[in-house]
Formats: sequence, C-alpha cells, structure tokens
Amino acid sequence: MPPTPKLRLARPFPDLVKGGPVEFEELFTRYGQYVARLAARMLGSGDGEVDDVVQDVFWIASRRLSQIVDMIQARGWLATVTTRVVRRRLRRRHVRRLFHASPYRADVPAPGATAEQRALLARLYEILERMPTEQRLAWSLRYLEGEPLDAVAAACGCSLATAKRRVSAAKNVIDEVFGDD
Amino acid sequence: MTNQASDQRWGELGDKVEPDWAPERKWAVRAAIVRRAARRHRVVRTAVGATSVGVIAVGALALVSWRAAVPTAARLDSDPHTAPSAPAAMASGGEERTSESATVTVTKLSPGTVLTPLPDRDGRGFALRAGAARFSVPHDATRPFVVAAGDVMVEDLGTTFTVRYVAADQLNIAVEEGRVRVRTRDTDTEVSAGSTLQVPVSRMGKVAQRPQRSSGVVASWRPLAERGQYDEAQRMLRKAGPSAVRDDTADLLLAADAARLSGHPAEAVPYLERVLRGHAHDPRAGLAAFTLGRVLLDELGRPSEAVEAFARARSSGGPLAEDALAREVEAASRAGDLARTRELALLYQRLYPNGRRSRAVATFGKVD
Repeated sequence: MPPTPKLRLARPFPDLVKGGPVEFEELFTRYGQYVARLAARMLGSGDGEVDDVVQDVFWIASRRLSQIVDMIQARGWLATVTTRVVRRRLRRRHVRRLFHASPYRADVPAPGATAEQRALLARLYEILERMPTEQRLAWSLRYLEGEPLDAVAAACGCSLATAKRRVSAAKNVIDEVFGDD
Repeated sequence: MTNQASDQRWGELGDKVEPDWAPERKWAVRAAIVRRAARRHRVVRTAVGATSVGVIAVGALALVSWRAAVPTAARLDSDPHTAPSAPAAMASGGEERTSESATVTVTKLSPGTVLTPLPDRDGRGFALRAGAARFSVPHDATRPFVVAAGDVMVEDLGTTFTVRYVAADQLNIAVEEGRVRVRTRDTDTEVSAGSTLQVPVSRMGKVAQRPQRSSGVVASWRPLAERGQYDEAQRMLRKAGPSAVRDDTADLLLAADAARLSGHPAEAVPYLERVLRGHAHDPRAGLAAFTLGRVLLDELGRPSEAVEAFARARSSGGPLAEDALAREVEAASRAGDLARTRELALLYQRLYPNGRRSRAVATFGKVD
C-alpha cells in the first residue's frame, strides 16, 4: 500500500501574491527556516553544516532572483537548490570517509525528541550514511520531509519513475533494518 | 509493523528534526551572505580592473611598437613610393611635433612652417620651404638624413639641429648635438654642437619681393604651392603661362611639384629638364634628376628616359646616389636592357654590399 503523503510544508504562505516580484530580504525571511530544516533533515547533522548550506542556497538565490517567478514558486526552487547543495556535501563526505579523514558522527538537531527517538534518529542516519546519495536524498524528501513523489523528482532533478525507484530502493533497506522494531 | 505505520513513524521522526532558527542565527547567516557578496564584488572589481589595465598596457605597447616600426615619412606620406612626395601639409602654427619615430624626431617651430618629406628617403629627408623646424636624428652612414632648404642642403652627421629662415634670403642652422654638413652653391661647411651658421639662401619666397611683370597672377601660385595647395597652384600656373616660373632652381622645382602633385606629371618634366639644362651645378640638380627619373618611370611609363635621369642623379653624388643607382637598375630592367641591368646591379652590389635596396636590385638584375 503506497504511503500517504504528508504535505506539511506544501501549503504556500496565505499572504503570498502569485506573480509578484521577489525581493531577497523577503525570500530570506520567509524561507530561511524552511531551507535550514530541509538541509538538517537531509544531512542529519547539526548547526555548522546547516548554516553553510543555508548560506550557499541563499547566496545562489541572491544572484538568480530573476529566475524565481514569484514567492509561491520560490519554495520549490529553493528545495531544488537545497537538494543540489546537500548532494555536493554528502558526496564530499563520502570521499572523506574513503580516506578516513572525517568519520561521521550523528549530531541531529532534534530538541523536542525523546531519548528513544534520538537513538532511533542516530541509527537511521547511520544507515542513510552508508546508502547511495541519490537514494538517500529521495527517501529523505519523501519520508522525512513528506514531499509528494513529483516534488521529490523535481527536487532531485530526475524523472518520476527514477524518483520512485530510488525511494523504493532506500525504503527496502530501511524496512529491512528496522523491520523488527 | 505495517508499511503505513512505518511510514507514519518516519514522518513523525522527521518532524522532530528541527534546527534552532533563532533570530541571532538567522542574522549571522544573513551577514555572512552580505560579506560574501561584498567579497565577490571586490574580486569582480579587481578582476575587471586588472583586465582593463592589461588591455590598456597591451594597447599602449602595440602603439609604441607601431610608432617605433613605422618610419617618419610613412606617417607623413603613407606610401612614399607609390605617392611620391605627397605633401605632409604641415603649415600649422606654434611649436608642434609633427612626426616622431625611433630614428627621427621632427618638430615644427613656427606657425608658417612648411615641411614636406623628400621622395624615396624613407623619412630621412625633408624639404623646408618656410618657417623653422628642429630635427633630432641618430646618424646612419648608410642613410644620411638631409634637409633641403632652398638651394642649401643640410646633411646630418648624427645630431639634433634646427633649420630656420631668419629672413627671406638667410638661413640659420643651429646645432645642439653632434655635427651637420651644410652645402650651399659655393661652400661645404661642417657645423658642430653649440655652433650656429647663417648662410644665404635662394628660396621661392624671395621672388615675391622682386618686381613682377604681372604680380597679381604670377605671384599667387607660389604661396599656394608652398602651402601644399597644388591643384590651385597648378591652375594659377596654367593661367599665368610659362613666364610665371623664373629660371631659378627653387622656382622650377616648386613648379614641378605643383604639376606632378596635382596629377599632371607630364607638365612637371619640362621644369625638371630646365633645372638639369640650366643649373647643372646647383646642389639640387641631383634631386631634380632623381625626381625626373621617378616621374618618367613611375608615372609616365618611359623607362629608357628614366634610366638616363637616374644616371644623372647618381653622377651628382650625395645621399641620393644609392637610391638613384637602385632605381636605375629597375628602370633598365623595365626598359628591357638586360645587359645594362645586370651591369648596374653588379655595380650596386660592389658599391653597396649591404645596401638597403639589395634585394630589389638582385631581383631586377637577376644576380645572386
């Protein structure tokens, strides 16, 4: 049975006007937290790395404001850029791990989580860390962020079928590991 | 655990992942972006500045190289061979630098200075018709620099010097560095640094002071020719008739200039021939013969007569001799006189083994 999408963040801000001009200050104010949260969920790491991703994403946005049609479309655009920036970081992390330069330590920012949930998150990100980057990103967007599959495909820059295949492959691994829990 | 329950669990767990996006953190990130933008702006500005400086430097270098490579006469007269003696129209006023190259610097010193490059001198010869000019010239024994002023010929021996008309019939030569040789009709004097020499000169302007039979028309063609307005000068000359030109070397040469530079080379020939017939001992007879040769060869297509004219120019000696011999080879070749061509080419090679026209001579003379 397919999972029920939880479109928690898919709703645009109610006061946004379609087709209006996009100002950087407003973009940063409205979507700064969204980008930080998205980055934290995909990376599974703490403040420093998340801040770097937010900075990278909005730096790119500041130079490409003309590509953002309006504040409603901005959210999807930022999700795509955030995914690309995180993908680069995860690949770098993989390379560093190959040379044992920087072993990953789970440092997930989850202030409201119980001790049991923290332990589960730590274990989840250990599994995700060993997973191919594309599968990890697709699964994170689908299940941790609750995006619909077409939004996952758009953010990952792949077809819907590819997005489905990646999500499914990652889900199989996760289910296998956590099946007994 | 069912699939749906499992998916729901990951969703709830994902909700717990929430970085603390406090205002101070938000503004720290915002400030970092601003710093990054400023840094990028500086980098772009530096890159643009460095590129601009580079482009300007390359441009300046190219300009300097070009100025050093092009001889003076080439800038005054774009092609001295195909457009011989094209006037440089340098009758402007004040102290004005008219031309400069790595080898020759020429500066006009008075508003009425009229200075034209001599033909076939590659920027190393000028005719001063009026006013004053300063010349700074490194000496080249193979290509002496000459200034023709009326019937006075000033030849450099490595120097900076000024030639000035102090009166209609007086020429002053002041030498700042090095030495010059001043040749007049009767004398041949060397002037060294710090010295000046004043010599009598017979020039075109002098005639205006003499009584004229029909001064209105007769006198008017000369200033036009001296200013380089050859078309008008030639028109006035035709109106005035042959009597408008005195039997004087300077006047005849000026009339010849007016004729050939206004596009009537055939009408220049009689004037030049009059110089050769009536003023054979004049220092400018060689120049007249050389000019006649060029007119006959280049503009009238009469190479056999040109051979004789160049031979005459060569026999006059002086700085034109080498050029005259080279052009004689060319004229003989174009006249079809192969034996003479070869003979003259061998003579050139013997007299000027490193001559600047060796290649052309070897080509025309078919000698190695």
